[in-house]
Amino acid sequence: MDESQLIARVRAGDSTAERALYNAHVDRVYRLAFRLAGDDALAQDFTQETFIRAFDRLDSFRGDAAFSTWLHTITTTVVLNGLRKVKRFRQREADIDDARDIGVMHRHAEPDLKVRLKKAIAELPEGYRTVFLMHDVEGFTHEEIGAALGVETGTSKAQLSRARAKLRVALADFAGEWTT
Amino acid sequence: MTDQHDDPKFEAWLSERAKSYHSPLPTPRDEMWARIAAERQRRAGRVIELRPWMRWGLAAAAVLALGIGIGRWTSHPIAPGSGGTPVASAGSTAPSSDSAQAQSDLVYQVAATQYLTHTEAFLTSFRADIGSHGSANSVRFARQARDLLSMTRLMLDSPAAQDRQLRALLEDLELVLVQISQLDSSHDGPNHDTDLITQGMNQSNVLPKLRSAIPAGPVPVRTEGAL
Repeated sequence: MDESQLIARVRAGDSTAERALYNAHVDRVYRLAFRLAGDDALAQDFTQETFIRAFDRLDSFRGDAAFSTWLHTITTTVVLNGLRKVKRFRQREADIDDARDIGVMHRHAEPDLKVRLKKAIAELPEGYRTVFLMHDVEGFTHEEIGAALGVETGTSKAQLSRARAKLRVALADFAGEWTT
Repeated sequence: MTDQHDDPKFEAWLSERAKSYHSPLPTPRDEMWARIAAERQRRAGRVIELRPWMRWGLAAAAVLALGIGIGRWTSHPIAPGSGGTPVASAGSTAPSSDSAQAQSDLVYQVAATQYLTHTEAFLTSFRADIGSHGSANSVRFARQARDLLSMTRLMLDSPAAQDRQLRALLEDLELVLVQISQLDSSHDGPNHDTDLITQGMNQSNVLPKLRSAIPAGPVPVRTEGAL
């Protein structure tokens, strides 16, 4: 069943279809919310709110763009408004990573770099930070970012370039790592 | 976009480090879905908050009902020697008396329907949500219960309570609302008090009785043309 059929079934009140639509998109929504919020509890809250709004407003989805684009627009709106409201993005707990990463086998950034990187990303202007996290970390294209944030593709590219430039300055102490 | 800051080595390094510094956990799909379903259900059956204008509206409807009721009683002439039994008045006054009676009944109907609808929505939400959102929820429910309790007592003191079935229902509701109004902010999630309240509600079948007392159809339909 393709996505438009699934959406039609959700509109008709099919709860199984709702769950299928949720399953198809929840990972990316949650990852995006997590990256932007920097906090698992907030990411879960924002993900839930995103899907609640999406199901409530599904009738307004006209299908001009991909459903994922529409959903990511809701996600970024929910997350950015939520972050502004609670102002928690400046209060992330420094030890979340350590607690989470116990027993996880993947490469970690070095502790000092991790702290500096987190601080540097957090200090980026909101627009730069959002584009950087969506593009360089979560792999969204500039077209997807532009659609989700309601900006031109060129604006997204420009903001990414400026974000990288700022991060490069902020992380200059680690220049040896990327030049070698 | 290319500019003087482009540096593929730096970008690759930055991307790799940024991905690893704060990786999301596996998506808690089932937990989030359960909460989404619960929250959607809660919002669908959300209590109609008694905003100030609604309280005034309800109070005005109740006062109007009481005023008309009192007016009806005091304006009926009691014939001497009739032992309090009203004597049929002249034929020319009968239609206006019937009209006043009909108007009075409609006002009672509007006030009672609005009251019962709000109370049913409130108790449904209470039973579904009392375990969530912690003490803030208790405070909200207690506040709303106090508002509804005032209305319940007004209804009990009004001629509407002359109906035996409605009076019994109002007395049951009064008991439940008193208990809820006494929940305080120290309550945080399901506990013995709320269990007792919900058990009492179940044993007295107060919600089914309440629902059966509410005329069918949405509120605007139930009261359409009444005033």
